[in-house]
Amino acid sequence: MGKRIYALAAALGVALAVLVGVSAGAGGTPGVTSKLISIGGTFPLSGPASSYGTIPQAESAYFSYFNSLKQPGGKRGVYGRQIQFTYLDDGYNPAQTVQLTRQLVEQSKVFAIFNSLGTEPDEAIRAYLNQAKIPQALVATGASEWGTLAKKYPWTIGYQPTYVSEAYAYGQFIVKKVPQAKIGVLYQNDSYGKDYIAGLKKGLGSKQNQIVDMEGYEVTAADVGSQIAKLKASGANTLCIFATPKFSIQAFAIAAKLGWNPIVFNNSVSATPTLMTIATGASTPATTNGTITATYLKDPTDARWANDAGMKLYRKIMAAYYPKGNVNDQFNVYGMSAAWTMVKALEAAGPNPTRASLMAALRSMNYSDNPFLLPGIKVQTSASNPFPIQQQQLTRWTDGKFVNFGPLIKG
Amino acid sequence: MQQFLQQVVSGLASGGVYASLALALVLIYRSTEVINFAQGEMATFTTYVAWQLIDWGVPFWVAFFATLAFAFVFGVAIERVVIRPFEHGPVLTVVIVTIGLLVLLNGLDGWIWGAEIKSFHSAFPTRPIDIGGVAFSLQDIGVIAVSLLAVFLLWLFFRYTKVGLAMRAAAVNPDSARLTGVRVGWMLALGWGLASMLGALSGLMIAPVVFLDPNMMQVVLIYAFAAAVLGGLQSPAGAVVGGLLLGVMLNLLGTYVHPVTPELRLPVALLVLLIVLLVKPSGLFGRAVVRKV
Amino acid sequence: MRGERLVKLGAIAGGAALVVVLGFTMTDYHQYQGGIVAYYLIAILGLNILTGYTGQISLGNGAFMAVGGYTTAILCGHHGWPELATIPVAAAVAGAAGFLFGIPALRLAGPYLALATFAIAVAVPSLAKRFDHFTGGSSGITLPIHTGHYLYWASWICAGIGYVVAWLVLRGRTGRAFRAVRDSEVAAVSSGVNLASYKTLAFGISAAYAGVAGALLAIGAAYTNPDTFPVTLSLYLLIGAVVGGLGSLWGVIFGALFIEYLPIYAQKTYFGFAFSKQAPSVVYGLVLILIMLVAPTGIVGLARRLRRSI
Repeated sequence: MGKRIYALAAALGVALAVLVGVSAGAGGTPGVTSKLISIGGTFPLSGPASSYGTIPQAESAYFSYFNSLKQPGGKRGVYGRQIQFTYLDDGYNPAQTVQLTRQLVEQSKVFAIFNSLGTEPDEAIRAYLNQAKIPQALVATGASEWGTLAKKYPWTIGYQPTYVSEAYAYGQFIVKKVPQAKIGVLYQNDSYGKDYIAGLKKGLGSKQNQIVDMEGYEVTAADVGSQIAKLKASGANTLCIFATPKFSIQAFAIAAKLGWNPIVFNNSVSATPTLMTIATGASTPATTNGTITATYLKDPTDARWANDAGMKLYRKIMAAYYPKGNVNDQFNVYGMSAAWTMVKALEAAGPNPTRASLMAALRSMNYSDNPFLLPGIKVQTSASNPFPIQQQQLTRWTDGKFVNFGPLIKG
Repeated sequence: MQQFLQQVVSGLASGGVYASLALALVLIYRSTEVINFAQGEMATFTTYVAWQLIDWGVPFWVAFFATLAFAFVFGVAIERVVIRPFEHGPVLTVVIVTIGLLVLLNGLDGWIWGAEIKSFHSAFPTRPIDIGGVAFSLQDIGVIAVSLLAVFLLWLFFRYTKVGLAMRAAAVNPDSARLTGVRVGWMLALGWGLASMLGALSGLMIAPVVFLDPNMMQVVLIYAFAAAVLGGLQSPAGAVVGGLLLGVMLNLLGTYVHPVTPELRLPVALLVLLIVLLVKPSGLFGRAVVRKV
Repeated sequence: MRGERLVKLGAIAGGAALVVVLGFTMTDYHQYQGGIVAYYLIAILGLNILTGYTGQISLGNGAFMAVGGYTTAILCGHHGWPELATIPVAAAVAGAAGFLFGIPALRLAGPYLALATFAIAVAVPSLAKRFDHFTGGSSGITLPIHTGHYLYWASWICAGIGYVVAWLVLRGRTGRAFRAVRDSEVAAVSSGVNLASYKTLAFGISAAYAGVAGALLAIGAAYTNPDTFPVTLSLYLLIGAVVGGLGSLWGVIFGALFIEYLPIYAQKTYFGFAFSKQAPSVVYGLVLILIMLVAPTGIVGLARRLRRSI
């Protein structure tokens, strides 16, 4: 082989050793210096779930904006510390999530993990983060386990209203206002879809038998035509769509094609104004009109908020720090609302924050002024309540936009 | 009975989608003996180009035909630049190159146009039609009709035109074809150009149904492979029949055979692919290839 | 010739020494990454035996990794087995699956085989969800967490064993038979090589290696679910095998390094210029095509050509 390979191996070895080095012992709290607080998260920026990839970019925009503000006392940032937010692409593959989270924690030495997205990706890193006593803050999924397992995993906390509580609201509404409902359910065959079903059943209570048919589909399905046809054939007059955006839009399109016009409850993940507009285009206005969903965020396309301080701020930040982003995409409002909450928690963690003090702050939140949430919705946690946002409002898609109605419902 | 008919009709509708991409696969295989793993991504890319044209204000039908023209050039270019260097090499090399293309184009789609779902205007009206309680739309019929029309045009082309004859000759026996003056290299490029056009057509028809995002064709590609193999990788008519048959079969299995839950639809399609490959690799309509020793 | 042999041994000893030294000096996270490189190496080694030495294209080794990974996850997560003890079992189960698949695959060649193996890679995640009674469905199975140090040593020891086994297999009669099958099936049959047994053997061995790699993946991530073994895994294994150089054991390490580090480096910012986050795919695709153009026999082939031209 010649001396080349030997020399190559030796050179490679030296280069590697120089590159990776030995870890320097670090004093103090990881991720916190006098100038910086470093947080990180993993998100699906590529692959099947990549439409959520706009969320960390909106969050990054909010942090940049906050970093630029002069606080009382003359300093910028949280007690003079700028927030550094690193987000990485895990492609929704939990094995990648684990690797990248370890990288964030052990190599980038972040202070906390923020808003990592995806039920399974977050499940994969939960034990590791809790073992290392690192906050897994404001997890970006609506699975209820983040709250229900708070005793077992005290370093993990969710954020948005759970799927269970959302479907519970639908169930309760049906019992009160649509007593003749014969319910058909289209659901994605994983914990997301099944959580929704659990909530719906809980909300229906003794009227669970009004569910006449449930049809599941796989994420790998090409279309859900067969399932919708079966649901129509079951005689259902009410349709609950517990499906991700692509399949939810398809459900509307196929229902229109089959000439089926049930009362529709669409899950909030797939019922942003942008998506509902696409759905209306793919089916007919008559099909989507009257669709009910639950919401807790302000709708960027709603004229009601044209002069609202919070949404003005939203638009300002988007224009200044994330001009490529779609201002009408409610996912961006979501991102900023989460970033806002994180900043508040970081402030509440004190001038000398530790991971424990951040966690304590996250578990004792009481904010009723999040500018991106609907008025009256609180971000609230306590020792007995691990669910930060529990309220939602039902809203109805009417003639091309959402009209909120009814009281704030607590799930 | 109505449920049965409805499932059959929906199955035909889905099947039309698989069939149109399967046609492109068959065309490339027939003219160049390459299984193009990147077919779906090429179709998605060209559909994005169409979307961009429409977004820039180009009228729909102008964009439609402009995209087909672009797709042709795109296909020819890919064959000449990317595939040609590997034509005489081992099969594995070409397979790897098409996979490289797959990965490259998929990333490119997301990079240039972002990953959010985009809506796409349909070439056909989506108004529902109801006959005897069984509903479908003109769009479904349109998709199937276009596929059948494409098969017919291809048949005419291969059978009755000089160029078509030259392409067939180049595919079957390149050396002899060269001796009779056929520019074999350009025939292969032509094959890719035509297939790319078919892929674009399929993308333009599918996008209104499954909506445009970088992974739009990934699942459809698998079903298209199963359909192409079922019908016979050498047979365009087979591809269409295979697609329709697959769509109907999956729906009926999913409705009437209870162990076949939603998770199994894809594996069932793949099982069909495997069984056909093992039992009768030339598919329903293909002729068995005998390897002479 | 003796000099060359000494140098080869020297390179191997040097490589082994490097692995040992790094296992005590690198940070825990880098050891974690090093462990991942090692199990990719094992998977690519197995794929190389099948595709590089026996000429059978496989786009489905990720599926065999899934078989091994789930075996480990079920034994360890559901039945409390110690993780390392599950590795041989994972190898055996995956190897058996590969062997069984090899039997019908005998009838397929070239692109048809590629298609069939691709079909398996695509089907496995869906199957894992269907049989959720065993596999925990989409919620998956969790395993005990370990340090990067643990993964590093477990993986590199397995990689070392894998290398030795591969070397022994390939230098003997089996290896010669494999190469004969690759170079010309017709000639192989006429010189008495039993095509069926060697082809299925190659599948079985390749799958066993993939099974070990999958087991280590499950142990390293401390979690398995259908999304941890996507189709792209199978594709990246093939990319790694080709980049390293098919038909040679030397290049495998480069392939493993390539598929582990490329996505990481493609996501970084260089002098203020950041690739889009979609960049890894674009770079992978481009690099793959370019490598096939410039160095179709991989980095090893390139090295050989350079050496010869001097």
